[in-house]
Amino acid sequence: MTALVFLESRDDEVSRQAVAFASQLGEPVSAVSIGGAYAPRAWGQALAAAVQEREASSILGPGSERGNEVLAHAAAALDRPMAANCVSLTPGQPARVRRLRWGGSLLEEAVVHGAPLILTVAPHVVEAAAEVEVTELEAGADADVQVRERVRADGGGVSLADASVVVSGGRGVGSAEGFAVIEELAELLGAAVGCSRAVTMAGWRPHTDQVGQTGTKIAPDIYIACGISGATQHMAGAKGAKKLLAINPDAEASIFTSADYAVIGDLHEVVPAISNEIRKTRGS
Amino acid sequence: MNILVSVKRVPLTGGKIVLTDDERAISTRHLGFTISPHEECAAEEAVRLIEQHGGSSTVLTLGPPEAEEQLRDVMAIGVDRAIHLVTDDQEWDPQATAGAIVDAVRAQEEPYDLLLFGNESADAGNYQVAIRVAHALGLPCVTGVKAIALADGGLRCEQEVPGGRDVYVVPMPAVVTVKEGLNLPRYPSVPGRLRAKRKPVEASNPTRPEPQLEMLRLVLPVGSGKQVQVLGQGPEAAPAVVAVLEELGVI
Amino acid sequence: MLAGAIIVSGALFATRIAFLWTLIRAAPAVDRPREIPRRLRNEATIVLGQRKLLQRAAPGLAHAFIFWGFLVLLPSILIAMIGAVDKHATLPWLGHQGWYALLQDIFAVLVLIGVVAALWIRKVQRPERFRGSHLGEADLILALIATVAATLLLWHATRIALGLNEWPRAWAPVSNALSHLFARDAATRILERVFVWAHVLTILAFLAYLPRSKHLHIFTAAINVWLGRTRSRGRLEPLHFEDPDVPEEDLRFGAGTIADLNVKELLDTFTCTECGRCQDACPAYATGKVLSPKLVIMGLRDQVLAQDSGPLVPAAVPEESVWDCVTCGACVQACPVSIEHIDHIVDLRRHLVMVDASFPSEAEPMLRDIERASNPWGRAQSERADWATPLGVRVLEPGDPAPEYIYWVGCAASFDERAQRSAVSLAKLLQAAEVDFAILGPRESCTGDPARRIGNEYVFQAFAEQNVEVLTDAGVQKVVTACPHCFNTLANEYPDFGAHLDVVHHTELLAELVREGRLAPQGAGGTITYHDSCYLARHNDVLEAPRELVAAVGTPVEMERSGRQTFCCGAGGAHMWMEERAQPINVERVRQAGATGAETLAVACPFCTVMLDDGVQDSDSALRVADVATLLAEAVEGQTDGRP
Repeated sequence: MTALVFLESRDDEVSRQAVAFASQLGEPVSAVSIGGAYAPRAWGQALAAAVQEREASSILGPGSERGNEVLAHAAAALDRPMAANCVSLTPGQPARVRRLRWGGSLLEEAVVHGAPLILTVAPHVVEAAAEVEVTELEAGADADVQVRERVRADGGGVSLADASVVVSGGRGVGSAEGFAVIEELAELLGAAVGCSRAVTMAGWRPHTDQVGQTGTKIAPDIYIACGISGATQHMAGAKGAKKLLAINPDAEASIFTSADYAVIGDLHEVVPAISNEIRKTRGS
Repeated sequence: MNILVSVKRVPLTGGKIVLTDDERAISTRHLGFTISPHEECAAEEAVRLIEQHGGSSTVLTLGPPEAEEQLRDVMAIGVDRAIHLVTDDQEWDPQATAGAIVDAVRAQEEPYDLLLFGNESADAGNYQVAIRVAHALGLPCVTGVKAIALADGGLRCEQEVPGGRDVYVVPMPAVVTVKEGLNLPRYPSVPGRLRAKRKPVEASNPTRPEPQLEMLRLVLPVGSGKQVQVLGQGPEAAPAVVAVLEELGVI
Repeated sequence: MLAGAIIVSGALFATRIAFLWTLIRAAPAVDRPREIPRRLRNEATIVLGQRKLLQRAAPGLAHAFIFWGFLVLLPSILIAMIGAVDKHATLPWLGHQGWYALLQDIFAVLVLIGVVAALWIRKVQRPERFRGSHLGEADLILALIATVAATLLLWHATRIALGLNEWPRAWAPVSNALSHLFARDAATRILERVFVWAHVLTILAFLAYLPRSKHLHIFTAAINVWLGRTRSRGRLEPLHFEDPDVPEEDLRFGAGTIADLNVKELLDTFTCTECGRCQDACPAYATGKVLSPKLVIMGLRDQVLAQDSGPLVPAAVPEESVWDCVTCGACVQACPVSIEHIDHIVDLRRHLVMVDASFPSEAEPMLRDIERASNPWGRAQSERADWATPLGVRVLEPGDPAPEYIYWVGCAASFDERAQRSAVSLAKLLQAAEVDFAILGPRESCTGDPARRIGNEYVFQAFAEQNVEVLTDAGVQKVVTACPHCFNTLANEYPDFGAHLDVVHHTELLAELVREGRLAPQGAGGTITYHDSCYLARHNDVLEAPRELVAAVGTPVEMERSGRQTFCCGAGGAHMWMEERAQPINVERVRQAGATGAETLAVACPFCTVMLDDGVQDSDSALRVADVATLLAEAVEGQTDGRP
């Protein structure tokens, strides 16, 4: 029996984390990737077919958009349950997992019945496997559900999802113009500008700036959250941040329970002060 | 066009999540309810497509009796009718949910051209119900869509990927899951709400099959145990902040 | 010939009045309580006594002279008409009374003085309030009035010169004096006829012109004052969404077209004299915004008279104006003829929000959050009482025995950290005075005030019904609240939904506790200027209690615009959630407060707290903004908190 692991690509880190995660099953890992234009249904069927071929007791994949999609297709083809975004696994008959709910603000402990065991691994719960031997899997053509072309996203500036520093503003900013101080600091730090959902609902920033469970999930080295109270939906998007600095006038704001650093104060005073201090430091 | 939108009633959790005593659900005392932002965009898109191309739309939910509130909210923006698959307090796993939806779809007289879902539900986040529905119905499925348009006899869908959008053109009927940002959902008018109160809701009570992905309990993630370091109050904290940024190598 | 003139003038007058009457008849009715004694009092003071006009001494007096003159001289019109037909005839009895001749003389002169003063104001002083008004029309009216008064005096003068006076000439000193200009000759005989006919024809022309100009107010003002609010100025008229007698298509969702304007609103537009006092009082106008309450009423009037059935916004009222309003009521307060501008603006908002779903996008999170999360900040209701936990404040659970007071905290104090300070202070004070109180905690939802003020009456009513149910089930009788908006809604608006509550503002309760000696402040708090919240002072007449408290803790100094003349902090009308465009209202108020030289700016409202504190931060002010409860708590505990 093998553990069949789907990789988005040889180098994809989250996929290789899934490989490392699979080692818990105590079975040889059969890591596969699929070439050609992305065709989720066909790829899922290819994985499902590979189960018998490779005598797989389980199918694992990265808990990414593609990983979840392909494994869901495989699970549908096999009519088996699929546990998405797992953070831990207790192998057995049946296996038990812990998986993410609410974008990571809650965990679910579940039994996964039947075989093969199909699950995706939440990003960054284990270190990526160093050496992975990957074989190519052939997927049939799928005229209907296949990527035709890729179009570039518009909008310049630093991409929010990739930025190593993100500065966000929330309700506390008060208006579209109020974001000027946020943008100022972001520019000084070479950071991307983000915002909370209340801000996009108010029409102050576009949805592409929204950090949160239904917006962009960020993973910067530091996330500076200004005037954001810390609702779970927002924090679900910011979990990946290595460090969090929260600036909020309310000392009881829930964001402070997840923050590494705190400044209690009004962002309209604090943020410009930080910008000035940075300029001073650089100037000297 | 005949469009189906599926939504799910979820609580608005606020700053922290509190569990019930048996740890099998979120304590919803004093919480408001809504549908996920992805689903709001799906509903809005359904209404827009019908406004543009004619036809009718239906909103469906698998949920407790209180979920009728969400159905009426969606009908208030212009969806014509609703299907309510009424459940009790028990959770339905993705396969069971998809199965019930498929049964309801097959029971309809008029087939649907487009079945819209949110990319993932706000609470359970299993990322698979729509895909299973598509499989059972033998329909193509595109997920994570940020733009839809009718084109060349099919649906041109843009799926968000890192750095850009992947374009699919699928024939209808099709299943599409969408993400917030697809459009700006409209605010319901009061005449719309009043009309929604009288729109038809077809209710039924499907039987829940044994769960294959069986939730045992819910667990709050352990805090990182980190102690927040207060750098100061107001603008006087600026030097301390800059010191931290330097330490982290940001400056 | 007189008959002919009267018929023509009468017909012109009547046809116009008939047209206006059909408009009134067709308009939706308005529900006003009978309150006859109060209304009679209003007629006496506002109309006869010119009370609101006299809020400004000089123009008020000028108008009063003209108005009282008009009343006194009414019978003289008849006398003149009789005299025009038959130069030797006059009104029986009155026409011979010397004292009436004296009155005519005095008031004709007063009228002329009034006209001269008015012209001085309009032509020389040129106040800002006339910007946008039709000055030409006013000039014509003043000219007609002056002509009427002057021709009356000159007619009397010539009659005296000809010996035709029916009353002793000594009784009419002015006419008598003027009579010396005229000899007893043929020229004067001609002039006597000229003057009487000029007088009569001017009046008849005026009569025909009257209902086609803003001078219509002389008829409609008395009616408009009669229909004005007699109580609960802060209460808005509810809409009815479920009416078994009305088919849904005919339900009124505010004012979208002229057909939606109700009787009072229509009368308001007919009564506007374009005096601009409302414009002068408006804080939005004062800070450079588009809104002018005067232009709103004039715009609506013009569309009504043109019978233009298209949308009122933006044709009659620009969209920006609709959203600029903070519902402070300064305009309504200033208006001498009881126009109620807030009703117009809220009705326009209601249609835009509820039918068109069109409103400033920055208000969308607030509207959605009120409905889904039960508070406009979108915070979890389960966290609503978190501020109270460390203080051991009692949270009333269902089934608990009712306390003497429910302290209705409000969303701002529950969730905004600056507003929260007053809640903490008030709770401590109530505990210190051993008042039996509890809060509802998570069962307290938003009163719905922001939803109502922005125009979403539907959402407001859902909350009103829900909250009334919670309060009734709790068996609550007395409610104390520190938020004037909650206060206004609970006291004035919730009775429409079945509430029977005694609602007091926290300053009223605290003042009572201080008077009774249950709280003993050691006053040493420096100079304090108190800012009256619009919803407390103007809409609800709570003026003295906060001042008692301020005097008990420090040295009070008043701002120029205080009491019912207060200048808004800028947060009303759901502006707490809407962006400020031109120079913010709050910064202007902070400037006004700073001009008093006080050290502390005391407030009695969580919105004022936040807005004025923001204003202080946005300007170079050194004022400390604090709620009266906080100042009292410091004085009672002997704390010197310093700058928060």
